[in-house]
Amino acid sequence: MADAIHTLAERPSAPAEPKLALRDLVVMRRTASGETITATDRLTFDVAQGEFVCLLGPSGCGKTSLLNVLAGLVMPSSGEALLDGRPITGPGPDRAVLFQEPALFPWLSVLGNVELGLELTGVPASARRDIAQRWLANVLLERWADAQPHELSAGMRQRAALARALAADPDVLLGDEPFGALDAQARELLQREVQRFWVGSDDRKTFLFATHNVREATLLADRVLVMSAAPGRLLEEFRIHAPRPRDLDDVLIARVVSEIHTLLMQEVDASVAREMAR
Amino acid sequence: MVEASKSAADEQLFELALSEEEKLVLAKVADILRKIQFGTVVLVVQDGKVVQIEMAEKFRLR
Repeated sequence: MADAIHTLAERPSAPAEPKLALRDLVVMRRTASGETITATDRLTFDVAQGEFVCLLGPSGCGKTSLLNVLAGLVMPSSGEALLDGRPITGPGPDRAVLFQEPALFPWLSVLGNVELGLELTGVPASARRDIAQRWLANVLLERWADAQPHELSAGMRQRAALARALAADPDVLLGDEPFGALDAQARELLQREVQRFWVGSDDRKTFLFATHNVREATLLADRVLVMSAAPGRLLEEFRIHAPRPRDLDDVLIARVVSEIHTLLMQEVDASVAREMAR
Repeated sequence: MVEASKSAADEQLFELALSEEEKLVLAKVADILRKIQFGTVVLVVQDGKVVQIEMAEKFRLR
């Protein structure tokens, strides 16, 4: 018993080089109407290797822009985005992204989609099939290996996308509202699977997800970073020391969800007040 | 020798006559409370024993 207590209440040890680091990051983006706006407002935070961090914030708060920078798809306007201490200059096999839309290629089978991901990261042909099949089994889709994506439900397609992302063995998994388009059951299943893979990676993999779902963030993360509305800046950080898999009905989780909701309500009120004052 | 007067806390502790296990739990809780400014600490109890301690900390960033 003493050991169990000790492990859970331990604070994270002094960090080595953070896996991901943002320093005064400012990202601009184009809106649909063509104007350029500031998506993030000098963001600074670290993500240590092996952490599961969730960025929580309203739509438009810059979460996607931030993830695009970390994925190497967009360059910052100012500030720095670092991976293992080095500036991120483009995409790479060390990072995989899970988007809200799985974006599987419709002309490839489910297995083919996972294999393509491996081909793009330079895995030799001889190894691809085995790895892809193993990962489809991991996400319980092995019987759908030869199916076309359109034959799968949304939840199954997202599981295939998860298999594709993790099969390439990235150090970092970035998720941009990855379960946002799923029904409640599929969402719950994927949340459990993601936790399982993260735990199974034994501190080797770093997960950073963006979501506007408070419960999801609290369920998944070691740390929840709450962002303001655009231009996004960090408001509060919640560090959660609770074992996984977590239950939304767990007392601690429920309390944190409640506290975050209160914070978000305050932020909405403050935001409205600012608008009215203009 | 005159015994120094006990504080209310000392008296309570004395009267409880804590077991070794109970002392360990309280020591751990005290340790946590020294480290966190804002947050929640949960003691999970089974069969009359604390089997787990969970906690969440909150940090203001702005």
